[in-house]
Amino acid sequence: MIWTRLVRAELRKLTTTNMPWAFLAVLVVISAINAIAVVWGTDFDGTKTFISTAADQQSLIAFASNATLIAGLFGAIAVAREYGHGTVIPTFLSSPRRHQAVLAQLVAVAIGGAVLGLVGATLTTLAVALALPTTEFGFMVPAADVGRVVAAASFAGAAGAVLGAGIGAIVRNTGGAVTGAVLTLIIAPPLIVQLISDASSWVPSALAVALSGVEPEAAGVESQASSLAAILVLAAWALVPAVIGLLSVQRRDVV
Amino acid sequence: MTETEAEPGGYGPFAIEVEHLTKRYGEHTVVSDLSFVARPGRVTGFLGPNGSGKSTTMKIMLDLASSESGRATIGGRRYRDLPDPTAIVGALLESNAFHPGRSGRNHMRILADADGIDLDRVDELLELVGLGEAADRRVGAYSLGMRQRLGFAGALLGDPPVLVLDEPANGLDPEGIHEMRDLLRARAAGGNTVLVSSHLLSEMELLADDLVVLNKGRLVMAGPLAELQELATLVRASASARLQELLEAEGAAVEREGEELVVRGMPITEIGERAFDAGIVLHELSPHAGSLEERFLHWTGSPERRDEDGTEEEVQP
Repeated sequence: MIWTRLVRAELRKLTTTNMPWAFLAVLVVISAINAIAVVWGTDFDGTKTFISTAADQQSLIAFASNATLIAGLFGAIAVAREYGHGTVIPTFLSSPRRHQAVLAQLVAVAIGGAVLGLVGATLTTLAVALALPTTEFGFMVPAADVGRVVAAASFAGAAGAVLGAGIGAIVRNTGGAVTGAVLTLIIAPPLIVQLISDASSWVPSALAVALSGVEPEAAGVESQASSLAAILVLAAWALVPAVIGLLSVQRRDVV
Repeated sequence: MTETEAEPGGYGPFAIEVEHLTKRYGEHTVVSDLSFVARPGRVTGFLGPNGSGKSTTMKIMLDLASSESGRATIGGRRYRDLPDPTAIVGALLESNAFHPGRSGRNHMRILADADGIDLDRVDELLELVGLGEAADRRVGAYSLGMRQRLGFAGALLGDPPVLVLDEPANGLDPEGIHEMRDLLRARAAGGNTVLVSSHLLSEMELLADDLVVLNKGRLVMAGPLAELQELATLVRASASARLQELLEAEGAAVEREGEELVVRGMPITEIGERAFDAGIVLHELSPHAGSLEERFLHWTGSPERRDEDGTEEEVQP
């Protein structure tokens, strides 16, 4: 049962430092910003059209895109710090077949990323729902769609965390891994879209929005991937760096 | 100690065998054709100046680093082929392999989780190494000695029959060193294999049964400590220069320390007889136990180099 042991150890690593609290604080801030936007924000014409329909509100609470980025940073830091602090040494001593240790890390950060996405979506939904009574609009998003938003954020969080973890395993330096995650999730996608306009539906943020079930008009995009395609392509975004990271640590000296 | 003709594992199920190990980082050869055996029931001291390749050799033993040629095995198997490696080998390699924001207890629980060890063992070991009261403090607030104790507790977690410890006495106070020495001696007496690297030569004299001495990645001496510390004879004579010449001509190794001669490789009685035959008056002829440090400097051919905090620096890629 080496797998169970290793995943349990990795989960304990993630929950025994201040890092989860720091990320929870970020989620609270984001949800608070959403609440503030609902209470005081307006469109250009001074109206509150941006919260006037169920689709608009669903677009506002759709947390999946944020989850991808936040969990990406979470995964990158969680794995890269292992090399920085040398705590990967006891991990590789427990599991000298390193692919097992790295896979356990990926599973653990995927769980952590999913939890971040779930908590982020829940907090944002609650914040928006609690702020709406201060306006002329009530909370109109059906429960099924709220469920979809939360599920999408959880999946996007897991994918983002795996992507970040892969970068962390490749780079092995916390600053470099964070930079790599930001480059991959924020800076590279618009550049890719500029070069290949058809790619606009396939970058992580667009895929996350598609997963959340937000209507294209509300999301401000012309076309969207189907849910299944979004799941598969977002998973591919995560797995490519994860596989490279997995392969790169196999025989590399731990110094 | 240096024989390598035996079949792999021929020194027992828990012997560490290093055979013709070579490791390079770029153009720099860190370990060169190194062979030795650390046997069960013995404490083997792994000595060498800074950068001599001790830490790299230990990392290769534990599959944390690769080698260009040769191999290192435990009971005839590579570390990665051991069925439950941490139940067989306990290792302390880095005094800072901890997350500073994590408590000592949680660090140990993570190791216990990964190794499938009951969490009660964590508390038991923290008490054993004197960290019971500090167990819930952040490791970042620990002193070097406390971190060393924590690392030592981690090495003992699986109660392994083989211990590989890199500079375990670093940062420990005299009481801590004494406790660790007693513990390691007791484990060796119980049939376990203990390999300890250290630059604290005097500590090795009190701890080790066998010594393996490295210099610039090469083995320069290996054998039982008692043999390596061979008794020398201290001689003060009226014509010390002539006596030195005479004894060296007969094959003895003679070192001059002022007017005194330290003679090795010739029985004390023979030294007296030869001086008498040559008509040289002796003022003193007495046994002289050469310190290990003296021998170490002789073997490595250079003054011992060490950092202020006693840590070892090795060439890294």
